[in-house]
Amino acid sequence: MPAPAAEALPGQHILLSFLATQSQISLTRLYSKPSACLALFRLLNALERQIIMNYLWLEGPVSSNTMDVWVTRDGRAPYEAAMRTLASLQVLPSPKPGSNMLQLSPSFKKNFRLALTGGGDHMSFGVPCEKDLAGGVNVEMLDRYAANCWESILHFMVSSGTDGRASRPTKGILYLLDRSGLMAGQGAPKITSEGFQFLLTSPHAQLWTLLLQYLSITNERNIDMVEVIQFLFMLSTMQLGQEYSTEVFTNTYHSVLEDLIDYGLVYKRNPNRIYPTRLATTLTSGSSATTSSSAVSSQAQTGASLSGNSTVATAGGGFIILETNYRLYAYTENPLQIAIINLFVSLRGRFSNLVTGSITRESVRKALDNGITADQIISYLVTHAHPQMHKNNPLIPITVQDQIRLWEQEKNRVQIAEGYLWKEFTASTDYNLVLEHARSTSSVVWENEQARMFFVTPEGHASCRDFVNQRMREGGGFA
Amino acid sequence: MDTSTTKAAREDPPAHLTLIVDLNPLQWELSSQASNDTPLSLSQFLAQLMIFINAHLAARDDNTLAVIGALPGYSVMLYSTDDSPPDDEAPARHQANSFQPFRMVDGRIASRIQEEMEKSTDLDGKTDRGLVGAITKALCHINRVNLLSVALTNNPESTSAMAPPSSQSPRMLILSISPDASTSYIPLMNSIFAAQKLKVKIDVCKIFGSDTVFLQQAAYLTGGSYLVLERRDALLQYLSMCFLPPASLRKVLATPSQDKVDFRAACFCHKKVVDIGCVCSVCLSIFCYPITRTSCSTCGTRFPLQTLKRLGYIRQPAAQANGRSKPNGTANGK
Repeated sequence: MPAPAAEALPGQHILLSFLATQSQISLTRLYSKPSACLALFRLLNALERQIIMNYLWLEGPVSSNTMDVWVTRDGRAPYEAAMRTLASLQVLPSPKPGSNMLQLSPSFKKNFRLALTGGGDHMSFGVPCEKDLAGGVNVEMLDRYAANCWESILHFMVSSGTDGRASRPTKGILYLLDRSGLMAGQGAPKITSEGFQFLLTSPHAQLWTLLLQYLSITNERNIDMVEVIQFLFMLSTMQLGQEYSTEVFTNTYHSVLEDLIDYGLVYKRNPNRIYPTRLATTLTSGSSATTSSSAVSSQAQTGASLSGNSTVATAGGGFIILETNYRLYAYTENPLQIAIINLFVSLRGRFSNLVTGSITRESVRKALDNGITADQIISYLVTHAHPQMHKNNPLIPITVQDQIRLWEQEKNRVQIAEGYLWKEFTASTDYNLVLEHARSTSSVVWENEQARMFFVTPEGHASCRDFVNQRMREGGGFA
Repeated sequence: MDTSTTKAAREDPPAHLTLIVDLNPLQWELSSQASNDTPLSLSQFLAQLMIFINAHLAARDDNTLAVIGALPGYSVMLYSTDDSPPDDEAPARHQANSFQPFRMVDGRIASRIQEEMEKSTDLDGKTDRGLVGAITKALCHINRVNLLSVALTNNPESTSAMAPPSSQSPRMLILSISPDASTSYIPLMNSIFAAQKLKVKIDVCKIFGSDTVFLQQAAYLTGGSYLVLERRDALLQYLSMCFLPPASLRKVLATPSQDKVDFRAACFCHKKVVDIGCVCSVCLSIFCYPITRTSCSTCGTRFPLQTLKRLGYIRQPAAQANGRSKPNGTANGK
């Protein structure tokens, strides 16, 4: 996982841990837009949302004891974790010392209420334009556009610019990839091991990883970070397939807009008008699972027919069949997906809509050397398993899962440590004496009683040498 | 630490909520009269209900909702998430100040309620509420939603191990304002059993009027909450604290439970709510007083005259007693 995600608590959205590090003033400014309050509310987990709802309609502060009595005995730990999260986001600031009165941050309370009731004159949900039917812009077209933009970035990463078909992304994206440590090297950037791991995460997580990087460089570019977050949140509350006017946008919004068009979050056909794509409107709709894939499935539910070639559809639905004999069949012709599979599979044949290959020790070793873990490979296989595979229980054949894990352990079997080997002791008493001393400084890495050998760290070595020399001087009977 | 509760707080399936709104115009008129401590008119109520609905929809964008109105004599589906969205006609600048899904749902529900209320003015004669019909409609709708979600995720452990077996955890919230209608006892009990089988929790919020025995039982038997509004000016606070959390959250944040439940039943013969009555030992039908018939009106079993006599229901001894049918006992309600 790239750096920002590593700090996130399990199950918490990575943006929240980023926001928790921001100053109270920035957060209060962020909450001045109703759409931002609503989007933030959606990123929280169910318990945190409920706590906010409990406090939302109370006018004055309430003693924390009053609310504590609602918590069941088993729910104590999750409740306290939720309260800590809300305090760190300054949504429900912790009470001042010596008091236990709690209330929502006034700015959050006012604007979240506005978001739920509607009204006011903040225009933070986007100003829709009249429908322009002549343009031929529909949801399907927007999905294709977004998938193309996003996949071309990923494809560039995976091929490290060597594949002629992968178009080179704009300078802004290259800079971002470099800054986030996903690619390294000037001029001809190469993908790093973090970059490989990035490729196997869900599109939602990928998007946020890059957007967080984008937020972290806003200071260098003299862009107001709070406004950028507000703009992202505003996009996330817009409706797919609706055109919005950019006339009310601030200067910051306009400059950010240009970058977001590159990422495929926004489609712009007419000047002063934009369409948000599915990448943008699903930014805050839940955790990793809710991406373009589930959005497509919910569309299928309502009976909308989807063309089979749509890249988003293939990206969302599972396409990998894995057999117990390590053979893998991937029903795809998407160059990005083939490139990603190629990271850990040795490909054998390619047909018009099918790629075959097998998972071998070499192919997995290659992936492990790139910094990809066995768990990431398995989770990728699980999330992209073909519907046919879902008949199996467990989904991925146990033999293959275990073998991939074993291959990983095999790699970890050899541990490299710098140090010195002590050997050729003539008497076992000498051996034991020195070993005893080395143990007391806890510097022994490895020992073997039969061969009278042990291995110590460099610091331990110096200490042992002094010990032996001292014994020799004292005439302590070393051979 | 109990891992199941930690998990309950983290994992978060989309929730389905079916609202049953009691729209009896007569009761709303009574409720809005100034002689009450805190008068609450239908329009004030609806304003707060819309915010509650928005809060439910705000939590996740795949949360679903159905609203059913119970009117005198009939019930009607007012809104369902699978309805096709109507055209949004608000002016653009106005639209920018509210979240589009909220505006569309609220607008649709408000206009449908107005339509129905105008229609129902000439239905004064009908005393029977459409509540049972509304509950039945809700159960059918929930069943369909369940089937649909099962068909979509036809594999129990689909994409991730975290995915719950059923993506929906359906609930029903009845906003009741009318008194009990004892005629609807049998169909109501049948709906409760159906809800138990579907694992649907029925929450009841009694906004106006006295306790309703049957809805109390409905909440108790399905594991939902029953709440009588003590302060009607705080309706929204009650709604969002007690009825917004989905089932998984109720393990962490407690919701009010009933300390005593009125288990009285209505008799099958006169639809009277009875404390002590007679129960047919064969089919368990309840009668307040078996004087009119010497046999059970439901299953036809003949009651032994000896028992009827002993219980004091028959004064003169009958000439021919039939010993074939089983003795009849008294029971304390159901």
